[in-house]
Amino acid sequence: MPSICIYFQVHQPVRLRRFSLYDDHQPENLYERYFDLKLNKDVFNKVADKCYIPATSLLLELIRKYGDKFKISYSLTGTFLEQAAQYRPEVLDLFHDLAATGSVDFLNETYYHSLSSLFEDKTEFLEQVRKHSEELKERFGVEADVFRNTEALFSNDIARLAEEFGYKGIIAEGHERVLGWRSPNYVYSVKGCKKIKALLRNYKLSDDVSYRFSAQWWSEFPLTAEKYAKWLAESQGQCINLFMDYETFGEHQWKETGIFDFLKHFPEEAFKHEQLKFRTPDDVIAENEAVGEIDVPYALSWADIERDASAWLGNSMQRECFSLLQSLEGPVRETRDDDILHIWRLLQNSDHLYYLCTKSWADGDVHKYFSPFPSPYDGFINLMNILQDFKKQVERA
Amino acid sequence: MIGWEYPPFKTGGLAVHCYELTHALAAKGVKVDFYMPITDSGVSVSDRNIKIIQVAHAKFGAYVTRQAYGPEFFSDVHAFNNTAAERIAQHDKKERYDLIHHHDWMTALAAMKAKYLIDRPMVSTFHSIEFDRSGMWPNEYILSIEKQMAATADRIITVSKYMKGRLVEKLGADERKIRVVYNAIDAGDFKKHWDVSHGKERIVLFLGRLTEQKGPTQFLNAAKRVLEKERNVRFVMAGTGDMLGYLINLAIALGIGEKVTFIGYLPDEQKRYVYAKSDIYVMPSVSEPFGITALEAMASGTPVLVSKTSGAAEVTPHKLVIDFWDVNGMAEKMVALLRYKTLSETLGKEELRDALNLTWDKIADDTLRVYEEIARG
Repeated sequence: MPSICIYFQVHQPVRLRRFSLYDDHQPENLYERYFDLKLNKDVFNKVADKCYIPATSLLLELIRKYGDKFKISYSLTGTFLEQAAQYRPEVLDLFHDLAATGSVDFLNETYYHSLSSLFEDKTEFLEQVRKHSEELKERFGVEADVFRNTEALFSNDIARLAEEFGYKGIIAEGHERVLGWRSPNYVYSVKGCKKIKALLRNYKLSDDVSYRFSAQWWSEFPLTAEKYAKWLAESQGQCINLFMDYETFGEHQWKETGIFDFLKHFPEEAFKHEQLKFRTPDDVIAENEAVGEIDVPYALSWADIERDASAWLGNSMQRECFSLLQSLEGPVRETRDDDILHIWRLLQNSDHLYYLCTKSWADGDVHKYFSPFPSPYDGFINLMNILQDFKKQVERA
Repeated sequence: MIGWEYPPFKTGGLAVHCYELTHALAAKGVKVDFYMPITDSGVSVSDRNIKIIQVAHAKFGAYVTRQAYGPEFFSDVHAFNNTAAERIAQHDKKERYDLIHHHDWMTALAAMKAKYLIDRPMVSTFHSIEFDRSGMWPNEYILSIEKQMAATADRIITVSKYMKGRLVEKLGADERKIRVVYNAIDAGDFKKHWDVSHGKERIVLFLGRLTEQKGPTQFLNAAKRVLEKERNVRFVMAGTGDMLGYLINLAIALGIGEKVTFIGYLPDEQKRYVYAKSDIYVMPSVSEPFGITALEAMASGTPVLVSKTSGAAEVTPHKLVIDFWDVNGMAEKMVALLRYKTLSETLGKEELRDALNLTWDKIADDTLRVYEEIARG
């Protein structure tokens, strides 16, 4: 009799500007110098209209209708929150209203959607997690018990750090590489950790919505709320973790696919099955004991076929940018300049590295879909030129 | 198959293409009778499936200088085409042909006449069109032949998607009968960038005819901008052409004369060495149906910068493309390739892999697929 645990990832990177070596009029202000204000504003407005506003309004309506029977949770990155405040404050109002219902949980992650968990020195990782936690407290008055690392990057070490930071639960990908024959629909403990519980994404059922919903090649197309609720009801375990990008609703799956109708009718169809209950990640870890242990010595994530860190650090161009970023930590901190620190952290956003991915699997298409650059090589040139320029600015400061 | 040249007689890449394609097809069991003009150098082939049939004399190569387009030249073309068509019809009575495949406008009249005489499907390969060879002033007569050729052919083969678009736009060709089959090279034969010694100075290479179509002016303008950021670079221009004198003067006028070296036309052996020796190969062509030199540089593991208006840009996703008019953009990418070793190494290796995949065997398979498509009707 599993419960349904839904978590939506809400993230917008602050995208980089085309930084030209031959532009003699580069802005002095570093934010304007490296980031494309107009592009970011346009993208945010587009996604707000297609997804954030309609999806959040609908979910708010459903929660008001079903009270605490219908529960969901979110992870909102710092760069999303900042841009929402800047470009579309009404989006934040909606999340504020959601938080006030008491049926919605919020998770913690790195404020900057960064790979700082992979830095050798973990100070930066801790500071970004703290910053995110403070931001949530300040904006919505909420505190999180469950941690989700950027792109669900997970390992025994990361779980141990999260436990040290005080979290009771952590999100990870429910992949066979880690589970073997075991089901993702249970709570697990993590090797080398004391008490932290891992919630594993049921990627099959999650991707049925986020990835396959409008796929006409799919034998189950079209997916109805009724059919989906039935699949969930037939599942075994403690909790079915449906974790997906929020942009699934209206952006990756357009409104015309019927995704909002699906969402609208989903709770009602789920309630037709008595055993199905909605739970937040906090509820799940409070109500369930771990049934087994997972051992993840190497990075696991929810991206690409490999489900590792190769989407961001798979080629030498990505690793070079990442190690340059990492090496700037000392010099950046020495400046004691908050603006420079903020810029350095915005540059750590994992998306900048994601655009440099050259893996030629079917995944390449996904990278291409999200990338503002014609090729990973153009992406590398732009990022590297910016990092080199930033390095000079830091040295000068 | 009807062509204008075949090794050892050659004035351009067409001879190599015809040689490699006929041999790769023959290896797959296709019998090819290759009709071409009689030449002084003589042609011999040992493959049992290939027969070279030489008819009528021609004093000219396929891509002679434009001044040669005189009455004598066109009468040679006509004489060859007429004779070839008649010989094809005669031969067909003894041994039936399945289809007629010919290359470029110089053999188009023979193909069209033969198609009329024996009523067999006609496949036309466009390696280039008059607009790309001549720039602003196309020869109207050649243009009209190309239009007829495009209209008459049952299937058209172009060497790139870019070229396909040009055919539709410039010749009004029917998009539905065009198929793209890329060019190939024997990539394994090329010297590799990492196998030759490199001096302290980095080398950026331009290789091609020195005519406006190939973009040498933009190359020099970009060189000047690169030198504002990176001093330790030499720009090498290989090839000759009408613009040589102009370009030498331009380099001097730009104040970069000592950083530019003109090395003239290179025989194959030296060309392969120069590709490998270079750190970047730039092909800033205004319009390039394919651009075999880019593929040759790729086969050397040398990273390439190719213009968007070229067929070669299509053969690999691992590339940096440029707009031929965007001097700063071109310079910026050159600087990045010079500064960031990981970038040039990654590109060089990925491009080599894609060049190795583009074999004549694959080109023959793609060509056979076009033949079979026609055979099915």
